[in-house]
Parts: sequence; structure tokens; C-alpha cells
Amino acid sequence: MSTIILNGLAFSLPLLAMALSGIFSERSGVTNLAVEGFQGFGAFCGAFIALVLQQSMKGSDVPYYVALIISFVGGALFALIHALMCIRFKANQVISGVVINIFAMALTAYFTKYLNLAVFGASSDKFVLNIAPKVFGLYTFEYIIVAVVAVAWFVMYKTTFGMYLRACGDNPQAVDAAGVNVAKIRYIAVSLGGGFAGLGGICYAYSISSNFSSNIYSGYGYLAIAALIFGNWNVMPTLFACFLFGFARSAGYQIVQIAELPSSYQDLIMILPYVLTLIMLIFFSKKTHAPRALGVSYDKGSR
Amino acid sequence: MSEYIVEMKNITKRFPGIVANSDVSISIKKGEIFALLGENGAGKSTLMSMLFGMYEPDEGEIYIRGEKVQITSPNKATELNIGMVHQHFKLVSNYTITENIIMGTEPVKKILGIPVVDIKRANEEVAELSKKYGLDVNPTDVISDIPVSTQQRVEILKMLYREAEILIFDEPTAVLTPQEINSLLDIIRGLRDGGKTIILITHKLDEIKQVADRCAILNRGKLIDILDVKDTPTKTMANLMVGREVSFTVDKSPANFGEEVLKVQNVTVINQNKLKLVEDASFTIHKGEIFAIAGVSGNGQVEIADAIAGTIPISSGNIYLKGKDITKESIKNRVESGIAYIPEDRHNCGLIMDFSLAEDLILKKHHKHPYSDKKGFLNASEISNHANLLIEREDIRSGQGEKTIVRSMSGGNQQKAIIAREIELNADLIIFVQPTRGLDIGAIENIRKKIIAERDAGKAILLISLELDEIMNCADTIAVIYNGKIQNIAPTHTLSVNEVGEYMMGVGHNE
Repeated sequence: MSTIILNGLAFSLPLLAMALSGIFSERSGVTNLAVEGFQGFGAFCGAFIALVLQQSMKGSDVPYYVALIISFVGGALFALIHALMCIRFKANQVISGVVINIFAMALTAYFTKYLNLAVFGASSDKFVLNIAPKVFGLYTFEYIIVAVVAVAWFVMYKTTFGMYLRACGDNPQAVDAAGVNVAKIRYIAVSLGGGFAGLGGICYAYSISSNFSSNIYSGYGYLAIAALIFGNWNVMPTLFACFLFGFARSAGYQIVQIAELPSSYQDLIMILPYVLTLIMLIFFSKKTHAPRALGVSYDKGSR
Repeated sequence: MSEYIVEMKNITKRFPGIVANSDVSISIKKGEIFALLGENGAGKSTLMSMLFGMYEPDEGEIYIRGEKVQITSPNKATELNIGMVHQHFKLVSNYTITENIIMGTEPVKKILGIPVVDIKRANEEVAELSKKYGLDVNPTDVISDIPVSTQQRVEILKMLYREAEILIFDEPTAVLTPQEINSLLDIIRGLRDGGKTIILITHKLDEIKQVADRCAILNRGKLIDILDVKDTPTKTMANLMVGREVSFTVDKSPANFGEEVLKVQNVTVINQNKLKLVEDASFTIHKGEIFAIAGVSGNGQVEIADAIAGTIPISSGNIYLKGKDITKESIKNRVESGIAYIPEDRHNCGLIMDFSLAEDLILKKHHKHPYSDKKGFLNASEISNHANLLIEREDIRSGQGEKTIVRSMSGGNQQKAIIAREIELNADLIIFVQPTRGLDIGAIENIRKKIIAERDAGKAILLISLELDEIMNCADTIAVIYNGKIQNIAPTHTLSVNEVGEYMMGVGHNE
């Protein structure tokens, strides 16, 4: 039982960080399908730095913590591409998001191989990371994510900035009329979101396989988006959606092990969160309320 | 310091294809209610948008409190204590009243150095402000739960919270019921008595007569005159505004009923929440008859029209058109069998806003010869000829003729386009729902004449309107609806306005 909970948390919390990425972006009115791309690029940056530092600091946890920070920064910077496309150039936000995902996948695949060869002299398509440190049976990043989510919640619902952010997603005209720069708020929201996704991404790299490669992050971005939609674009309900996905997944694995099923059944278990998503869609679709101005680029002139 | 708080001198503003304001000069005194009167498209809103910093004039100068200013943005206008209530409110729907009012200038307290919105203090401030100006609102209500009239109060409070001295109201009564209009006018008077300067953009003469001190009349972008309201008869203002003689009553010959066209029998409409919107409604409409349904907004009248047109399902009852049961027919079949429909919501149901005028004018017959051939290709030249014919005949004004995108046209001309298209269908039954809502008197007169002309041509007309004078003027038969139930059906000449009003409030029913 405790294995289920521990594994479930290790999966749910990074997923929550990524869902938070979507929440920040979408509550400000910018559709964000690029969570996965932010995740991948952020994790790539963090993993590379970690690998560089690991060479000189054997056995230290410092590379791991630096990696978390760099992943956040990398994700945030990468997200600016999406922000620029959607806000400055008023591009179609869905296309921009999907293209950024594909772009990130290809970019990180290429550079992982290239850097492995150029910097470390190894021909490999993954960055092999140290094992992440644990406290009370939980990875330390899990505590960090909880803290980040708590701060993000506070910013979103209690501060001036959060108030503008949520208003941008409902009626940007009102925000503009209040003398606040809509574009600026959205840039910050999307970029912060990129940071959260990057953080989630490096945590997955550490928890799932202790390595980074371009194929460790496929599908989780969309799962995070599903979670935030079930959570109605609010932080707390999204948390529960992430837990549900995480525990469904870890319980599935546990069943495979206890029943001593062949390992190919593990692949079947991988689909569990997605099947759950489909089932939940049936029940939740009617009750969700997307931000009203979601996906609409703001044009000062229009009435 | 000058006697005037606002002076706009020789203002000219051009948009592609149109001169919105041409050499307009107005001066407004501190503490007066100054009205801007003009038909739709006369340039009133554009002029005030320049005062509020949404556009900058191409030529001319603006002085505030005697000082020349460049108002480059709404923020600049706010700094100059100018506030504006727009026709379309700028409110965040899932926020409370307080949050909407304070946004941008919110009181902040620091928690661990992080600025946090001090919502408690803000609620107190808003409550105090609303008390001070007699604008009764509950600060913690959420915008999406409150009626439009209260949302408007929130917009007013928003200006007052920012210490606006010059308050611009853009068509403030367009969205309100008669009772709400009266209380709004009281509020406006109260603000003036409290020392504010009010600018009121409107095309409703009676409102100007009631509250305004002075009034500037615009016609097609030009300033016609500035008048003292109390010395000027309404009729004179109306004539100046339209640029010709207008009559307030519609001339109409006695009705000449023919055979029965529409029969509505025991129709009940129930919505998803199991609410009875229409209950057991029965009536008939004949050729050459204008049958009007009067009622306070939201009492089921629009649902009756929708049920006949087929856009909402009915729970029980039958609808017959020329003796044929159409209760279960599709919308398309109903159109084919002779129903034309001018819907209440012209933007969502009447037009495709981003289509060209020519395309919007062939909706409902786009699939027919000569507009498209058997292979399904549209015939551009026929569509364009058809549009030009209707534009010419109905005097639909737009920037670029048939190629104009409908969204860019004024409300009056959009409505003209819908009516032209529907009448062109040559249907036996024409349903008009709120045909003159939001339009100026020139356009209203025009549309009412058109309705009567269609009746005289032998059509059956169903008219649904919230304007009682429209119903009293046009209808041959009046049905009054209250709470989904038809209270009374009688020939117009047997009813007084007061009687209709009583039925509308459900009073007649209890007798």
C-alpha cells in the first residue's frame, strides 16, 4: 500500500507542476498545449547542467538542486517563444502549442546526442543522472513542488498580479480599461508556466528513469492539461485530478507485480491514466468552464 | 480659468471610407448634463472615444479645465478625471463587484513584503462609495449573478472610485427596462447635483428632455446645433437629428383580416431546468393582421417566437401554418413553408458577423437558383447583383457597399439588412422580435412603416416588443404575456395603455 502512495506521489506531484503551467497560461487567456514542450526543454537544460556538474562533484546533491533551478529557467525562457507567437504575433494558439511540442522533441533529441558526443565523448541519446535524494521516503523535489504550488496558489488568488492574471482570461478589455497592460501580464503568466513545466519535467527525469532523453516525456503534457481541465482551471481541484492519475498508475503497477503478471502487462498499465481520462471526460465535460477569453488574442481596437 | 471644463475644438476624425467627425466643436460647463444626440453612425461615440483617449483626433484640439491636452490613452483620460461607461460593459464576469471596481487601483497590504490585495478594506470602501452616491450594490456579489442594471452601477462606481469628475455615458439606457431607466436618470441627476459633469450619448429624445441641460445634435459627423433643452420642443430636436420631418405616430389604415395563417394551440415550452417558460399558449394570426405580444422582458414572449420559428423544441401543443401541422418540422422546412424571422439577437442569430453584406443577404436562399447552381457552386455575380438591389432599395448604408464586413456596420444598418433579407423571402408569416431595439428614431420610424406595409400586402405579422408604444402604435391585436401565460388577447382599439400595463404586471389575471 505504501508503495502505491509513494509511487503515486512521485508521479502526481510533477504532473501537478505541469498542470500549473497550463493553469497560469490559460487563466491569463493564452491556450497552452505546449506544456510538454516546456517540460522537455526545461528538463533538457537542467539535465545537461546536472551532468556537467556531476563530473566534478561526485556524490554531491548540488547538481540536482541546480538542475531543478535551471530547468525552471529553461522552461520559462522556452515558453517565451509561445508567448511571443500568441501575444505579439497573434498566431493561432493551438497550432503554436502543438508545433512547439514537436519542435522541443526534435531539438532536445538532437542536442542530447550532440552534447553527449561533443562534451562527454559518449555516444548516447540520454543524459544519465544521479539518483535524487530522498527524505522520509519522498524525493526532496516533492517537497519543493508542494512549496512552489503553495506559493503559486497564493500569487494567483491573493496578489494584485494574480487578480490581473485571472481577469485577463475572462475579460481583457476590463483589464485594459483598468490601466493594466494585458500583454505584459500574459507574457509573465506564460513564462512562469513554462518554468513550472520545466521543473515538473526534470522531476520526471529523476523519478521515472534517472536519466533524460527525448522520449521520457511523451504524453505527460497532455495528461497535465486533462488534469487542469478536470480541475476547472483551479489549483486545488487540479491537485486532486493529478492524485487520481498518479495513484491509478501506481496501483496498476502494483497489481501487475503482486499478480506476477508478465512485464508486458506493465505497458498495458501505462494506458490506465489515459483510459481514466476518457471516462472522466464523460462526466466532467458538462461542468467545466474554461476562462471566457481563452484562446482569443487581445486586440485593443475590437469591441 | 475658462468657464468650460471640456472644450473640443474643430475636431475631425476619419476612418477608412468614412469621415466620423468633421470640424466638430463643443464646450461643456462644469456641473451640467450635456447630451450628445444623433442617429446611429452620426459620430457621437467616436467624438467621446477621443475625449476618453481611445482614438486620437486627426485634426483639432482638446482643452480640459482650460489646458490643452493630448489624451493618448484611457489611462491619460483617467488621470484627467474623465471616466466612461461604455455601451458594452468592461467587467470581469467571475469577479465580485468590489474586485471589478478596484482593479488597477486596488488597496494593497504587504504580507512578507509581497503586495496582497486588501479585499476587506476594498469591500468597505466600495460599500461606502455606493452609499454616498445612492448606488445600491452588494460589494461581494459576483458579476455573472447580477442583472444588467446592477452591472451598469458597477461601471459607474468604477469611475467614481477613480475620482472621475467628467462622466461619459454611452447609450446607457439601451440595455435597461423602463423602471431601470428612471432610476438611472435619478442617479445621473444625483451625480450632477454632487458636482460632477455628465456627458450623455443617446438617441432617445425623452431621456434628454428629462435630464439634460444642454444638447448637441450631430448628423453624419457634423455638428448641427447646440441647444438649451428646456427651450426646445422635442419635435424640433427630432427633426434636427434626422435632418427631415419625423412623425411619432405611424399612419395606418384599418386592418383587413384575411384567412388564418398561423395557429398556435396549447403550446408549452419547458427549458433544461424544468422551468415552464411558456404555458398553454393559444392564438391565431390572420392575413393582414399585426398580432403583437406585449410583456415585460423575460416572460416567455421570445420563446414563443423561437418555438414557432423552430429554434427551440416545444414540450406539448401544436403549431399550424396555413392549416398544416408544422410542430415537428425542421427549421429549414418551416422557412420553406413560409416563415420569415427577424430574431432578437441580431449578432448571434440574425447575421454572420464576419461575412460580407452580400453573403449575409442571401442566407436562407444561398442554396437556391440563381445564387448557386446544381453542382453547389455559388454564383458571385448574382449574389452581388442581389445585394446591390437590396442596398439600393432599402438604403442600407455601409463603408464599402456589398463587400462591407457586416461587423463593421452600424446596428441600424445591420437590422435593415436582416429585415430586407427576411421580407425578400416573401413568407406568409413574418416574425419580428424587438425589431427596433437599440435603433434611433429615424430607423425606428422606417421599420414600423415597413411592418405595416407588409401587413397591408397581406402578410400575417407576429410582433414581439418590449416597447409598449410600438405595440400600441402598430398592432391590430394585442396579447399580453406574464410569467409564460397569455393573460389577455384583444383588439388594440379596445385596450388602453394602462390596461395593457396592468396585464403585463399580472394584475389583470387576479380580477
